[in-house]
Amino acid sequence: MVNKPQHSVLTADKVSMTFNGGTDKEVIAFRNISFELYEGETLAIVGPSGCGKSTLFNIIAGLLTPTSGSVSVDGEIVSGARGHVGYMLQKDLLLPWRSVLDNVTIGLEIKGVDATSARNTAQSLITSYGLGGFESALPKSLSGGMRQRVAFMRTLALDPKVILLDEPFSALDFQTRLILQGDVKRIIRSRGKSAILVTHDIGEAISMADRVLVLSHRPGSVKAIHHIELDESEQDPVAMRRSTRFNQYFDQIWENLDIQIGSAA
Amino acid sequence: MAAKETAIQQVIPPAKIRFRASKFRILWYQVACIVGLFAAWEMAVRSGLAPVYLYGQPSGILQKAITLAKDGELFVHLGLTAFEAVTGFLIGTTLGSFAGLSLWLSDTVARILRPIIVAINGVPKIALAPLIVVWFGVGISAKVAIAASLTFIVALITVYQGTQEIDQDLVRMMRSLGAKRRAIWAKVIIPGSVPWIMSTLRLNIGFAMIGAVVGEYISAKQGLGHFIYNAGALYDLNAVFVGIFCLMILALVLDFILVKFEEKYKW
Repeated sequence: MVNKPQHSVLTADKVSMTFNGGTDKEVIAFRNISFELYEGETLAIVGPSGCGKSTLFNIIAGLLTPTSGSVSVDGEIVSGARGHVGYMLQKDLLLPWRSVLDNVTIGLEIKGVDATSARNTAQSLITSYGLGGFESALPKSLSGGMRQRVAFMRTLALDPKVILLDEPFSALDFQTRLILQGDVKRIIRSRGKSAILVTHDIGEAISMADRVLVLSHRPGSVKAIHHIELDESEQDPVAMRRSTRFNQYFDQIWENLDIQIGSAA
Repeated sequence: MAAKETAIQQVIPPAKIRFRASKFRILWYQVACIVGLFAAWEMAVRSGLAPVYLYGQPSGILQKAITLAKDGELFVHLGLTAFEAVTGFLIGTTLGSFAGLSLWLSDTVARILRPIIVAINGVPKIALAPLIVVWFGVGISAKVAIAASLTFIVALITVYQGTQEIDQDLVRMMRSLGAKRRAIWAKVIIPGSVPWIMSTLRLNIGFAMIGAVVGEYISAKQGLGHFIYNAGALYDLNAVFVGIFCLMILALVLDFILVKFEEKYKW
């Protein structure tokens, strides 16, 4: 990664967001946040609660317009949700009346891709990522982990430039979360996707990302960026947790976050 | 902790925890209730405790029903009322559901219409009867119109409410995939409103019957409403009860059909 010439796919340029609290009291969510997302890398954004992680996420997704500054994807400034990024949230947001296959094809359907090729794309994703045999199952009959897998495939089916992950595993139990973290990371790598992961889970950030960006307390700003370098043997999210380097990163980021126990909101 | 729960589950099977009686026992109790009620009623009349001219009498009701069924008169009334209610129900519910779904498309229109809808809903529909008679006459179409107008407004309100209750995050997800308003309507709002359309169907069967019977009360030559009204005017209470029980049976049959329909189409 580090040795390759780095081409930036997404740039955040001095993004600031201020909310008008209604009573003339302005709330500054964060100011002057700048960072680059390089092709093929995963960038994790961690921060204490209330630092504006989700607001930043919505700006990158084009669902919110920043007060000042801009986000651009491939040199084009993001304005409005146009499907330039694919995202995956804590809630799987599967349509309960659609089968697994039809949930995966929905993005393609909206784009106007013909039904046969949409089905083929979806089918190959479902087969290669371990949900073969569940094509016609309805979401309610799946486990939380399987549902998130379907949501991830729906995102992948559109083949987006950038994948945004907003705490996608936080509603899952610990074991399922670790397995899914490993799988999603592997899939993103193997497809050469660029991704931004917003999370409050430091372990998740270190195990999934190439770089971890730490935001400060409100008003949020970039406090530090850590390059995560772990060996192949440490890539596995479970094995990783035994490595000394993992623990060093963990301690550094924890220090950056400056969380006062007992006063956390 | 986990071991304890398992132990409890072993001692008390899940079915027992909810205190659910079997289907057969429920049916048995239902029959017992009805038979008991009629027996008590019959005895009260026979012992002279309740005068027959005020309360009717189960044995008399049965006799009356058999007589009316034999000469076919009862079925003419029943068939006509059923036809009026079902036709009004289909027209009103279809148009109302469609209108409710369409209101989602424009928040502006929905907000403009809101007070009008509330006002129309608040008017007891029987107050509209003179208008309906003037517009539709005193024939079948007037009864269908009353049933349709009642069910229309209920469907409109319930289904519109349904579109508003759909998880906004689903709509946001669709937008993020690049979906336009129309596509979101077709792919999320309409299928997502199906449970509300279903509940509107069952509500509306009742309203359609009210519409048909009220229409027949106002002015009619046939139909269960007319039959009950006439029998009441003649103090023939047994005949009144025959009419009421026919309405109950009709309601049960229509509800049964809808439940089967619902089971087939729910997701």
